[in-house]
Amino acid sequence: MTPFQVVALIVVGCLFVLTLLALLKGWTGRREGVAWLALWLMAGLAIAWPDSTTAVATTVGIRRGADLVLYCSVLGMLVGFFMVYSRLRRLRRDVTLLTRHLAIQQAFDASATIKARADGDLGK
Amino acid sequence: MRGRAQAGLTAAIRPSIIRRWNTETTSMTGQLHRDVFVVIAAYNEAQAIGEVLRELGVAGSSNVVVVDDGSTDETFQTAKKHAAFVLRHVVNCGQGAALQTGIDFALSRGAPIIVTFDADGQHRAEDVAALVTPIRSGECDITLGSRFLGSAVGLPWRRRAALKLAVGLTRLMSGVRLTDAHNGLRAFSRRAAERIDIRMDRMAHASEIIDQIRESGLPFKEVAVQIRYTPYSLRKGQSLRGGLHILVQYVLGRVVR
Repeated sequence: MTPFQVVALIVVGCLFVLTLLALLKGWTGRREGVAWLALWLMAGLAIAWPDSTTAVATTVGIRRGADLVLYCSVLGMLVGFFMVYSRLRRLRRDVTLLTRHLAIQQAFDASATIKARADGDLGK
Repeated sequence: MRGRAQAGLTAAIRPSIIRRWNTETTSMTGQLHRDVFVVIAAYNEAQAIGEVLRELGVAGSSNVVVVDDGSTDETFQTAKKHAAFVLRHVVNCGQGAALQTGIDFALSRGAPIIVTFDADGQHRAEDVAALVTPIRSGECDITLGSRFLGSAVGLPWRRRAALKLAVGLTRLMSGVRLTDAHNGLRAFSRRAAERIDIRMDRMAHASEIIDQIRESGLPFKEVAVQIRYTPYSLRKGQSLRGGLHILVQYVLGRVVR
């Protein structure tokens, strides 16, 4: 085992344990936690046995295991970008709703003040 | 079309309202649009908004709702001097969001007819009467201003070409045959305005409104209006690059919810 494999396995192992802890403590959603655990597990296997990726790559029609890892990473990143963008849009939508609500509420508060003043003047 | 959050918001702001302090000015033509609420979304329009509001007042529009969309200039202060109602977004949300705020506010005040109007001085206040006449007569629920049925003064050929392209794309994507696209001069009956729920905050809302008009099934017609292009309005308007950005926003807005 090369020094790189040792360091990478330690890092991935730590991440696996942290994710497992988060899952058991309920800090993360079950589906999300299990997905991350699966990812760390696959990463660990690929690092410990690099040839295993080549075996999987050959079965799906890709020659090199490194290419398979690269394709999967790009695909994963695209899905990640889409999810973040979608969440950002929802967040912006919430900010808009809040801003609009504030604007209308302030206008009504101002109107109520004017009305109260007008009523006060009429009562005099 | 209107979301649950939207319905809750509108219900929350609907309570008892006194209407008597609307400034009612008589127009030069003697016609007073008491039943019309003109909604203007304004972002950094201090230079033009005062004159726009003065013209609207002269033309008989007294119920003017200006939504200052987080301007960093004197737009809010200038609008307060001339408009009956001035609302303010604390942060810039985009023209679509500002228009929806204005429409919600006008509806909450019992507006029978709502007109959307640009803040940069491109629209003529006299055209409001032409837009609301078919709605008042019951001929339709929505009128859309068309510069290509009317006239466009000072429209550069490049902008004309971009607008024609936008018309073609709108026809393709919404399936509605219009002679103009992205014209901010529109009028809605109350029941039509209640069905409009602008979710695309920025400039893509113009296409979204067309989609919602089609989905509502309410009758609509185009009305000839005049658009006046000035160096100021051209500077504030959309470039071809901006148009492409709107198209991307529109497509993304339809795909990502």
